[in-house]
Amino acid sequence: MSAGFGPLLAAVTLLQSNGATMLPEWLADVLRLDGLGVAGTAIAALIGAFVIANVLLINAALAGPWAKRKIAAAFWGKLGPNRMGPGGTLIIVADALRMLSKELIVPEGADRPAWDIAPIIVAGSAMLGFAVIPFGKIGGVQVQLADPEIGLVLVFAIASVTSVGLVMGGYASKNKYSMLGSLRAVAQNIAYEIPLIVSAGSVVIFAGTLQLSGIVDAQTETLVSVGGFGIPAWYAFVNPFAFILFLTANLAEVGRNPFDIPEAPTEIVAGYQTEYSSVYFVLIYLGEFLHIFLGGALAAVVFLGGGAGPVLPGPVWLIVKMWAFFLFTQWARQTFPRVRIDQLIEIGWKGLLVLAFANLILTAVLVGFLEGDVEFAFASLQVITA
Amino acid sequence: MSTGEEQSGDDAGEQAIEPTEAKVAELQSLLGDHVLDTEEHLNAPAIVIRPDAVQAVLSTLKEEAGYDHCSCVTAQQYPDRYESIYHLKKYADPTDEVSVVVPTARDDPTSESGAPVYETASWHEREAYDLVGIDYDDHPDLRRILLPDTWQGHPLREDYDQDRPQIVTLRENANPLLEDHRGSEEEGESDTMFLNIGPHHPATHGVLHLETVLDGEQVLDVDPDIGYLHRCEEQMCQQGTYRHQIMPYPDRWDYISAGLLNEWAYARTAEDLADIEVPEYAQVIRTMGAELCRIASHMLAMGTFALDINGDFTATFMWAIRERERAQSVLEELTGQRLMFNYFRLGGVAWDLPSPREDFFELTRDFLDGLPEATREFHDLLTNNEIMQLRTIDTGVIDPETAKDFGCTGPVARASGIDYDLRRDDPYGYYDELEWDVVTEDGCDNYSRLLVRMREVEQSAKIIDQCIDLLEDWPEDEREIQSNVPRTLKPERDTEIYRAVEGAKGELGIYIRADGTDKPGRFKIRSPCFSNLQSLPAMAEGEYIPDLVAALGSLDIVLGEVDR
Repeated sequence: MSAGFGPLLAAVTLLQSNGATMLPEWLADVLRLDGLGVAGTAIAALIGAFVIANVLLINAALAGPWAKRKIAAAFWGKLGPNRMGPGGTLIIVADALRMLSKELIVPEGADRPAWDIAPIIVAGSAMLGFAVIPFGKIGGVQVQLADPEIGLVLVFAIASVTSVGLVMGGYASKNKYSMLGSLRAVAQNIAYEIPLIVSAGSVVIFAGTLQLSGIVDAQTETLVSVGGFGIPAWYAFVNPFAFILFLTANLAEVGRNPFDIPEAPTEIVAGYQTEYSSVYFVLIYLGEFLHIFLGGALAAVVFLGGGAGPVLPGPVWLIVKMWAFFLFTQWARQTFPRVRIDQLIEIGWKGLLVLAFANLILTAVLVGFLEGDVEFAFASLQVITA
Repeated sequence: MSTGEEQSGDDAGEQAIEPTEAKVAELQSLLGDHVLDTEEHLNAPAIVIRPDAVQAVLSTLKEEAGYDHCSCVTAQQYPDRYESIYHLKKYADPTDEVSVVVPTARDDPTSESGAPVYETASWHEREAYDLVGIDYDDHPDLRRILLPDTWQGHPLREDYDQDRPQIVTLRENANPLLEDHRGSEEEGESDTMFLNIGPHHPATHGVLHLETVLDGEQVLDVDPDIGYLHRCEEQMCQQGTYRHQIMPYPDRWDYISAGLLNEWAYARTAEDLADIEVPEYAQVIRTMGAELCRIASHMLAMGTFALDINGDFTATFMWAIRERERAQSVLEELTGQRLMFNYFRLGGVAWDLPSPREDFFELTRDFLDGLPEATREFHDLLTNNEIMQLRTIDTGVIDPETAKDFGCTGPVARASGIDYDLRRDDPYGYYDELEWDVVTEDGCDNYSRLLVRMREVEQSAKIIDQCIDLLEDWPEDEREIQSNVPRTLKPERDTEIYRAVEGAKGELGIYIRADGTDKPGRFKIRSPCFSNLQSLPAMAEGEYIPDLVAALGSLDIVLGEVDR
């Protein structure tokens, strides 16, 4: 394999800078913070982060108390919230007030610092992941806070930090249901993060870079032209098998049906979050929704061309794709029964993992032959035969 | 034994007695010296035995005479003695009944336990011990079952002071946070975890408490703890008059929209006790109403089962509730109520179909026409869903022999291949005049129990359809909704009867002993949920927690009926 990663690494170094102005740089330029040197860049980055975080919070606020109910109501043949404000949207305010005015109940014997930190980690890690997500371009400005070379690895690493929060919360609650839930969360995340990363890895072979902006740029070409309409070379079209694997593993990663077993109401009450109330509950809830959006953003960036789309600017398209993924999770929630813990582990280790590796190696072989890198292809074939 | 047989006159009555005598003689020759005396209950011959011969008699009756269904155990106090009555039946023919009466001394009410013979007697005897205070020797686990462990006295005894309040504080109950490794072999060094599921838990469908011992995610031991919803229903019925005051209570036993089915249990028992006829027209209305209730009840059972498997309020649950609402709307037109109907009267029903009758028929037909589409949706969403099948097939298995031993009835028994339905096997109402089938499945698992309920909905719809046709063509001058029933009913002293109907959850039986007044001397309810719930450990031990929850959901218990 080492022979195979040679050109790959070379490609990574080549694509370090892609020309467009990054959001913090642009902010520093517009707000005339250049004079302050490093401090100016830092302030500009903070402002950028503040803007992006707020956009996400607005999305989460819309999704949690309002859209989720509306979507569920549509599935049930009901109306959903419609009395408070236009389309019932003021229920967001009402819900926020309701949640915040609840008593914060601390269970007897809770492991205090850990119990308090857990919700912050859950919400914070999901938010942190967006630091490297390329939202697309508006007028030559790349709406992205940072674009490290190892963006894809970093974002997976950050998303996994959530598991730490879940375990902390579950273990520190001193509740048996919470502990069962947190143990399930660990088992599930280990079982599904590997196929998730491996199926994303097949995209890296195509794109030849781990840099998220690079992966998006690699999808801008036209795959085939049908009657004047160009179908873009999104990896969802190039390698639909990997896309399906990624979506499935992503459902498990964000803990939605049929893989919502870490919470599993009706089995273990609410799993790791059983003992959380009031503000902490809001934080965990927020973390979950941000996590779904992060999963959606990743799916969009890696497989659906990031911010690519006609007429509307890039960030809008990315958010639309995030919401599409959110809708997908809600659809799954309404229709799929939940698998049992042993079945979940079995599907993860025996099914998805094997398929993900098969996909990775086949992709490597195909890419090797297509690009004429016979050495790379044979190296991959050797892995299969071994 | 309602209209059909009553109307056929005296001849049938006399003929019925002779086989009874032959049966008693047969039982006497089988049991020999064990039989002290024989009595005649209205439903069956009764044999009186010594308290130390219970196991010998019961096992002979079970093994040799084929009485494999211990339907109920009733305990009561007389001025001079205590009495336990084992109501035995055959799954093959529930009309072949026998009551085993075990009198015990007033100063030392100790009797041998029947639990080693019939598993189901275990809980029934615990209840008898709890409420009446009879001690059962050789009982595997004689604890209180409905009342808290610290309760003083036995409430159905004559000397019990009903006016003295008893407060059981939380402190007196076990602390749920304490270390607890019960069920493990070595104290202190164990990997098991004790988990309280309930009484407040999303999956218990009410206030049920499951004391569970887990090994990882697997259930080693589960012990249902009931009694949180005990409302003294039996005692309340003992304080009401037969004619009108008891009928509202049955609605509150199985309150999951099975009201009319419950009312029929009381109506059937009291009508047979007081020898009341029911006009055929009223029987057709009763049959239709009861089947509407069964559909509503099964819809909720399917919805909550889906809720247990899906784990959230999902489309399946809401769609099931939508169909249930439609059934309830028809029932509301018929009875004026959506849940607590109080529609049956002794000797008939409260009033005729609402006028204009055409509108009612149209409403009902619309509901029935929509059902096939709804069932198709449920098959798409639930039974044909591969994850659903993965979750439910071969989980929560209970084989037919175990199910019979636990006294399982209703869809639970029929899903284990036991072809037992009182509507057909012990006909009442108008069922034997109509075309319909008893649904059975051989899977014995959670999936079969779901399938049985779904297919029973189709059969109920078939019954309702035929009832509507009958009612539509019923001549106007023969629409008699109630027979002539005396204002006050005083059945003869010491007449005893045990009668059951096919409720939504299974065999819903009532035992009444008349004491010569206008109120029952003893009123005992045989709840199908009570017996079905008892089989949960047999289904769930060794399974994963999610399957325990699924098995519980598939039993379709209503705590109001379990605890009464």
